[in-house]
Amino acid sequence: MTLPFDPEPAEPVGGPAAAAAVVPPKPPRHGAILLVDMDAFFASVEQSLHPHLRGRPVIVCGDPSRRGVVTAASYEARPSGVHAGMPLQEARRLCPHAEYVEGNPEKYVELSLELLDLYFTHTPDVEPFSVDEAFLGLAPRDTLADGLERARRIQAQIDERFALGASIGIGPNKLVAKMAAGLRKPRGLTLLDVAGFRDAFWPLDVQELWGVGPKLAARMRELGIATIGDLAHAPEPALAGAYGVIGPQLREAARGHDATPLVPSYEAVDPKSMGHEVTLERDSGDAAQLESVLLRLCDQVARRLRKEGFVGRVVAVRLRDSSFTTRIRQRALAGHSDRAERLFEVARALFRDHWHGGPLRLLGVSVSALAPSPDSVQTDLFADGGRADRLLEALDHVRDKLGEVAVVPAATLRRAKRGLRHVPFGAMASRVRQAPPDDGGA
Amino acid sequence: MFESLNDPVDVLTAFTGGSMEPLRFRWRGRVVRVKQVTGRWSRREGQALLRFFAVEGAADDSYELCYDPRGPRWLLSRAWTGGPQAAG
Repeated sequence: MTLPFDPEPAEPVGGPAAAAAVVPPKPPRHGAILLVDMDAFFASVEQSLHPHLRGRPVIVCGDPSRRGVVTAASYEARPSGVHAGMPLQEARRLCPHAEYVEGNPEKYVELSLELLDLYFTHTPDVEPFSVDEAFLGLAPRDTLADGLERARRIQAQIDERFALGASIGIGPNKLVAKMAAGLRKPRGLTLLDVAGFRDAFWPLDVQELWGVGPKLAARMRELGIATIGDLAHAPEPALAGAYGVIGPQLREAARGHDATPLVPSYEAVDPKSMGHEVTLERDSGDAAQLESVLLRLCDQVARRLRKEGFVGRVVAVRLRDSSFTTRIRQRALAGHSDRAERLFEVARALFRDHWHGGPLRLLGVSVSALAPSPDSVQTDLFADGGRADRLLEALDHVRDKLGEVAVVPAATLRRAKRGLRHVPFGAMASRVRQAPPDDGGA
Repeated sequence: MFESLNDPVDVLTAFTGGSMEPLRFRWRGRVVRVKQVTGRWSRREGQALLRFFAVEGAADDSYELCYDPRGPRWLLSRAWTGGPQAAG
């Protein structure tokens, strides 16, 4: 089936409903938005810290002597076909002479925080988007041209202070800035207004639109929507019928419209989920071993929930087998919890229901439907006078004082030493929130 | 290739302006003079704050040193020895 096309994108933004509105639209909070995207960040940091790596193919991974996947590849390694997420074994075949460096999250987070400090000297409205990307909102009086000038200065400062490359997109909203940043890399500077966005992106495959993944793109192609331009011209009722509320939103995005607000770090929203996953040293079909890994992951997730003051309601388990087929299954808890044993009960049940019995490559556990942790969480229907709570508090205190590996579930002891070295990038968000920026000069 | 080591090492350290900086260290019987500190980061282990330094030696060799206040002691956590990398 194919869709008839709307010949002209509807204006003003928001379609007929917006056109009929009597309330005048709010003026934009920011005159221009920048998306600073660090080029091959992890690999570039290693090259920056170790000058002998500069100009050489560098592949950041887990322990290079074990198996795993590529975390990041420098631009020198990319012509060989190596990319993030590729199994290390394949990367070694494609690029045997690269330097394989074990990644170090603390190192990258530290640099990321220093980069944020630099951004705060340009504007107080900085939204860390990931460890290597941040949105910067400039004052309403600033034009896109001012944004380009600011971006040029930021790019030069990043190079000068950190010997790192960044690509920066400048646009009237987050969507345009984000997609502009990806147009020219490395060290690109790309300014697009809405018309420029349409010129650049309408001819491209619909999957190039931010937010459209391979599955959604395949469904769109079945409807005759092959390019971003096709999506921009598709009739709204047909999109709403095919994709629900997201359909018209995607059409707006294809037209270069995006009302998503930039959320500065000092107004940061709470996380939506927390999780951990691990690639096993070798594929395993040993149920006891796999459940032991699940227990460790639940313990790590629960510990993180407690540290950051959240309880969660929905537990999801991620299972990836030897053929890289991934299944994600989730189930709700009876109530919110931040306790490893509660998470594990559900995670184990999901695992037993959905594991096909074959060897697994990767296991993951995440918890969503988060809520702020109440002062006192009732953890057991059969009250024990708070002994369990006090015990957990004491164990957390021991870990705070002596480190994460000071106390681990006994069933995970064989594998705990290495696994608990993992430091989640999630820690960065909480560190940023603790230190609101001074008012800058936006 | 980078070698992961965690070898205890003696480090001549400067404490200036409220910060510390490794100047030279003894490793495998030789003294490595630090030409440049190229980066710093830290990691918390319980209450201890481990401080890491990426340093470049005078012979364009490259290292990562860790100061562990619990000793207190210095560890050479990684060294780039320049040889070929073993396949994993």
